[in-house]
This record gives sequence, structure tokens and C-alpha cells, in this order.
Amino acid sequence: MPDIIKTFIDNAIASEARVKRFSGFEEAIDFVSLFLKREKIQNIAVAPDALCFIKATNEISILEPRCAEDYLRAEAGLVLAHYGVAETGTLVHLDCKDEEKIAWTLPPLCLCLLEKSRIVADLESLSSILSGHLSLTTIPSPQVSLVTGPSRTADIECQLSIGVHGPSSLLILLVDGNPE
Amino acid sequence: MTKIDPDLKKILKEFSHDYLLKRQESFKGLDFESLRTELAELKDRVLAQNGKYLLQFEEKARSHGSQVLRAKDSAEANRLIFEILKKHGVKKLVKSKSMVSEEIGLNEFLLGNGVEARETDLGEWIVQLARERPTHMVMPAIHLTRKEVAEIFSKHLGEEVSNEIPALIRVAREELRKEIFSAQAGLTGANALIAENGAAMLLTNEGNGRLVSTIPQVHIVLASIEKVLPRIQDADLLLKILPRNATGQALTSYVSFIAGPHRGAQYIVLVDNHRSEILADSKFREILRCIKCSACLNVCPVYQILGGSQYSHIYMGGIGSLLTAWIHGLKESKQLADLCLGCHRCEEICATKIAISDLIVALRERLNKVLGKPFWKKIVFDGVIAHPPLLQGIFHAARVARPIVTERLGFARKMPLAMKKFDRFRSFPGIARKPFSQSFEENFPSAKEMETEGSLILFAGCLIEHFYPEIGLSASRVLSRLGYKVKLGPAACCGFPSANSGFSSRSKQAFERLSAHLKEEEFIITLCPTCATMLKHIAPQLLKSEKARNLASRVFPFSQFLIQKEKERISNLFSAQPCSWRVTYHDSCHHKYFLKASEDSRRLIQMSIGKEILEMESSDACCGFAGIFSVSHPEISEALLEEKLVSITSSGAEIVALDCPGCLLQIRGGCHRHGCSIVVKHTAEILAERLIITSGAR
Repeated sequence: MPDIIKTFIDNAIASEARVKRFSGFEEAIDFVSLFLKREKIQNIAVAPDALCFIKATNEISILEPRCAEDYLRAEAGLVLAHYGVAETGTLVHLDCKDEEKIAWTLPPLCLCLLEKSRIVADLESLSSILSGHLSLTTIPSPQVSLVTGPSRTADIECQLSIGVHGPSSLLILLVDGNPE
Repeated sequence: MTKIDPDLKKILKEFSHDYLLKRQESFKGLDFESLRTELAELKDRVLAQNGKYLLQFEEKARSHGSQVLRAKDSAEANRLIFEILKKHGVKKLVKSKSMVSEEIGLNEFLLGNGVEARETDLGEWIVQLARERPTHMVMPAIHLTRKEVAEIFSKHLGEEVSNEIPALIRVAREELRKEIFSAQAGLTGANALIAENGAAMLLTNEGNGRLVSTIPQVHIVLASIEKVLPRIQDADLLLKILPRNATGQALTSYVSFIAGPHRGAQYIVLVDNHRSEILADSKFREILRCIKCSACLNVCPVYQILGGSQYSHIYMGGIGSLLTAWIHGLKESKQLADLCLGCHRCEEICATKIAISDLIVALRERLNKVLGKPFWKKIVFDGVIAHPPLLQGIFHAARVARPIVTERLGFARKMPLAMKKFDRFRSFPGIARKPFSQSFEENFPSAKEMETEGSLILFAGCLIEHFYPEIGLSASRVLSRLGYKVKLGPAACCGFPSANSGFSSRSKQAFERLSAHLKEEEFIITLCPTCATMLKHIAPQLLKSEKARNLASRVFPFSQFLIQKEKERISNLFSAQPCSWRVTYHDSCHHKYFLKASEDSRRLIQMSIGKEILEMESSDACCGFAGIFSVSHPEISEALLEEKLVSITSSGAEIVALDCPGCLLQIRGGCHRHGCSIVVKHTAEILAERLIITSGAR
């Protein structure tokens, strides 16, 4: 295992995320289906850029939200990270639409697909990509999100608590293959 | 009058302890010193061209469709935000954490104009519901217990809420979502504004910043003008330091770069609020390097005793006093500036190397000029210390009265009412029978005729001259044993107390009187770290003369001199056999943080006793002396002393060694008052007592 991948996994786990490895996207999605079934999760919000990976089944209902409030019904969110940063175990998403950001943040469980080859050593390695994305004038809302572990707070008696606003659980689905 | 809440003190102490461990872990493998130097230099370069980068930021942000507005002060910022809200028919605004919004008093202003402003950061929401103010920049509700939070939530919801933390978190999640989805506008702060692409960078752990900036139709970014950075690479550097120094995290859970507006409208309000004046002030400009990580608060001994409700105006602690002076007014900063111990601990941890303690001294100077000098300080610094014959007369009178006012163990009898502040919580030393200068002449009569390695000047300082001559004699004995001809420096004040209280002209006079007697090109050995700080650091800054710089270069703290110049020979003076002494070491603030000489002292002590020191917990926590601080703020001084005495006694040592006669006064006086049998000694005394006895040795 190349060091960079191990570092990413170690640091993601240190930030309270969970990581599961798959040989390809298909295997990862099969796992998602089984996982949702096992956890009795029926409503899933899928970020627009992850929709190509999953289809609705009899057991899984993919939300078709018309407004942000519709996402509140989702028990889990399936999202796609564009990059991973090994140094901090961080997921990087180049946001284009509000719906992507909402799917990452509102559901209590976040399932995030990340391709192994998209992991870089540190944030500096992505500087030009991030800067290029933020300078785009061809998309309505160029934003960048860095997500490291679930939502957390220590505002009550300095005790770490998770899930105060965003997901209380982040499961990274680390995939070896290339997305179609 | 300050009030100390023992529960809060306990919470803050535990928080500081855990924070330091997490922070240390998070910086593992990184060189904090070089990172912060790089960040400080970057901030300086950017601040020098702040206007240029702000214009670039504005242009890029507008190209993405944001509207950028500038506010010269709080009133204008509030008005601009209210106009935006009015234009969009906003009745409820949800906010993520923004110190600038606290600074401008936005919530109160909007409430008075019929707009509800609701905090969504958990800590901010709690203090808002409790109708209080944040007491920490990163942990706003650090002063409240879970039981108090449950009571606040119960009152807000009109139903009983469990005081279990997971239950409180669930309540907050549900209630805050309702607030966010029912608001028409969201307001976030910004940790940085990136000029090259017009993006606001926002760090949160909870994720409320993402919701507040996305769910409502209108998003407002409220940021102060010094937050601008040229490139995203510069933000990378900030991200390497800020979360680690703030909370000991490698990165916060969420970092958002927001360039283009979301589906609704986006406004960016840039607040000046006297920052342009700070930028134009070459002395104080560096306070705008502050990245609001709060690390300085987390290690501040006074903050740990008082908390943010007493040690704040809006901004907290030492850095808060500086920001307050400019942003909210000199008068508002006065009490905060008085509360600084001047221990320099904050500077060790500051992410951008701001000289907080030095700047507070400069602020005191301004306060004295603009608001007038406090009466009692005028008596002390303009009346007594400024006139050496009068001061000598007072000491002489005290010496005459010594047999009446001094007890058997050398402590002064309980002081009358007017002097009560000196010995309220510790025994005050009685004046020495003879001043050190006289004892020195009697004990070292032939020093002038010695065949020596060279001569050096011993500058003992006032406390040793009048209260602790045995320390001066001990140091002389060690230096003589190494073959040095010890010459005595003048028995005069170095000028530090005046400088520290903002009486710089008196300090200059004192230093000039002193330096007139220190002309020769010889090393000057100091036994008091505060005097050394004056001679090495403050005097060259005050006088800006070659003479002061030359003198500074010749000053060495006693232990630093021995390690740097006599490392080879010093160990021969002591027996290699371990002795029975159990010794612990207290790091005096200036000795450790400014002179960086604590480790030298530890090495010497270990060398002399032939074994390891028994380290106490928080050996570098201030003992609470800090010169006149212990008189002007006896409650805080007492609380710090109590903590120190607990650390010392828990170490299992029978002797506590230290290098500052001021700390010695405080700790020895505290031990005596509390009936504690710990012996307190200066490093020089330990070394002198451990010298191998040789024939003819003094």
C-alpha cells in the first residue's frame, strides 16, 4: 500500500471518519445498497454529481428534492469527493451547485465516494486546482469544501460531541478503479 | 475588584492542560517556529499593501456576482447590513460565529430595528439564549456547565431538557435547523479573504457556516479589512497553523472557500473600524497580524483565573486589550491593560509572533498620556523611585525600624491597613540587616587585588540589595571560585518597574543613572531576570542608542553566563556524588520566556546536586508576583500563588529553586503564610552551597 493512501486512511480515521476500501465503484455501490438495507435506511439524498453511481431500487428511495427543506427527509447522503488530502485525511469537493453542499451537510450519515488515485499528499498540491476552480466564471457558484471527519463541537464542557449541525457519521468509500 | 469563580477556574485549567497536549500532538513533525515566522512575515507584507489586495479582492468578488460594501465604522456596518436585510424583506437572520459582528454590536442593533438575529454556532447560541457575551473567541460558552446549559435550554423551550451532553446536542440540532430554515438571510464571518479569486475562507467544526451560507436566500459575509491574503497558497499556510494553534486539530471539520454566490444574493461587508489607523501606526500595526486563534488566551495565567467575562471588553485577554484600545476606545482598554502580568507566555504561542506584552506596556504609556496617570502610581514612580536619595532614605528608615517590624524568621510583622495589600496573602520579607553592597565589601575585601581570569560586574537588583543579600553573596562566591574578580554594579533601580507601568521617561532616567556606572567593557551578570530584561531588551528600545545596545550585548543572566562561558570548568566545582536534596524548579516568566535561560539553570542545579530535578506540574505557570501586579490585583496574585504552592508541594521536593528574587519573595512568603516547610532558594544559592570545600575558599 503506498504510504500516501495509508496516511490518508490513518488521518481520516483519526478525524472520526470511517474508511472502507473497494476494488471498483460497482462493488462500492453494492456495499452501499447492502449497508442501507442493513441500517434500515430508506431515503437517501444523492448529490447531483454522484447520481450517475446509484439507481433507486425497491428498498432504496432516492430523494428528488425540489428545495433544500426536502433534504431534511434524507437519512443518508451519497456524495462524491473530487480529491483526498493525505496529510489531514480531508475530502475535497469543488462545489458547483448548492444541492451538492446540502447533500454533504444535512443528512445525519454521509457516504462519500473517493477514488484512490485522487489522493494527494497535502493541500499545497491542490493549490492551483482550487484556485482555478474558484476563479471560474462559467459556473454559477464556484466554491470549494474541505471536509475532515463528521460535524463536531466541544462547546459544552469542552467534551467532543458529533453531529450538532452536519452528519454525525462520515463513511469514506475508497475506490481503486476509475469512475465511468 | 475582580471575583474569582473556583468552578470556572477549574474548567479553564483543565481546558488549558488538554489544549496544550492536543496542540503539541497536532504540530508533531512540523516546525512551529518557522511556520509562524513565515506567517508573520506574510501578514506583514500583505498589511503593507492592504489597500491593493482589498481592491483586487473586491474586483474578483464582484466578477462572481457578489456585492461588496465598505464600512468605516460599527455604525456604518450595522446600517449597511440592515439596509440589505430591509431590501430583501428579511425578518430573521441566522449567523455563524463572527467576532466582527460582536465587535460592531450587530445583534443588538438589528433587534432594535425589528430584525431577529439568531446565532447558530452552539456556543454562541447558548450564550445568546443566556443573554450573555462569549467568554472565549473559539469556545464562547466555556464558562457554562452542562447543567447550566440544560437550564438555559429548558427555559427557552418551556420544557425539561436532560443535562446529558448528547441530549443537549440533539436539542440544538433540531432547534437550530428550525431557525436556519425559517431565516431569510444568513451571515458568516471570514477567516481570510483571498484576493486572487475573490473567495471568503470560512473554518467551522459544526458545519453551521455551510448551512447559514447556503440555505437562506441571502448570504452576507462580514469581515474586517486585515483578513485579506493575496493567494490561495497563502491560505494553505494559514490552514496549517490556525486550527492546530486554536484547537489542536490538523484541520477543522469544514473549510469552505466561497467565491460565487449561491442561488440567492451574496453581499460582502468589509469593516474598517479604526484598522486603517492601526495600519498607519508603525508600533501597533503588528496587532493586525492576529488570526484570532485564541492560543494566547489558552495559556494566559490571568485568563485562566478570571475567564473572558471579566478579562474582556468584546475582545479578550492581552491581545483583546490592544484591539479594544483602537476599536472601542482607550478608556475601554484600561482595565484590560492593567490585568496583563507581562509574563510573555502568550508570545511563545502566538501564531504570528505578536509582541503582546511589549505592546501592552506601550499601551499603558498611551493610557497615562491620554487619560492621566493613576494617583498612586504617580506617587510611586514620579515621587519615590524617580528620586534615589528618597528611596534610599526609605530603605534606611526601614533598616532602623527593622528590630521592631521584623519577626524572628526574617518576615515583616503584619502590616497596618494602608500597607495591607503587600501582605494580605503572603508574608512580606523584612529588610535585610545590611544591604548586599555592604555585605559584599565585608565578605570580599580583597577582591580588588585578586589574580583572576578577568573581572565582571555583578548587578544584583533592588530586591537582592535590600532583602536578599545572601543571593548576591552566593553568586559572588561561585564566580570568585571560577577565578573572576567580581565588581559590584551600582545599587540602583534598573528602570523596569517604571517602564512596565508606562512611565518610560522615568525608566529612561533610571537606566541612564545606572548605565553611567557601567561604562567598562565587561560582562554584566544579573541575578534578576526582570533587571536583565530591562537591560537587554527594554532599554535599547527606549533609548535607541548605541550605548544601550552595547550594554545590552554585555548582559548575561547568571546561569546563562555559567553555561555559555564556563561550561567546561563549572562542573569541576561540584561533587559528582548525588546529594540527598530533593529539588524542584520554578520557571520564572522572564527567565524562561524572554531570556530563555531556564534550561541553563536546570542543568546547573542538576550538575550541583548530582541528580535529576523533580519536575513539578506547570513549572512555568506564573507565581503571581509580577511586581506591582501582586499589589494592584491581590486576588489574582493569591490565586496564582495557591496553584503554584500546590504544584510545588505535589512534586515531592523539599527545596524549590528559581531565578527571580520577585518569585522568591512571593513563593517564600506564601510558604511561610501557609505553614509550608518547603525551602525556597535562588539557583545561585544552590550552587554556592554545593561548591566543593577547598582550602582558602570563602
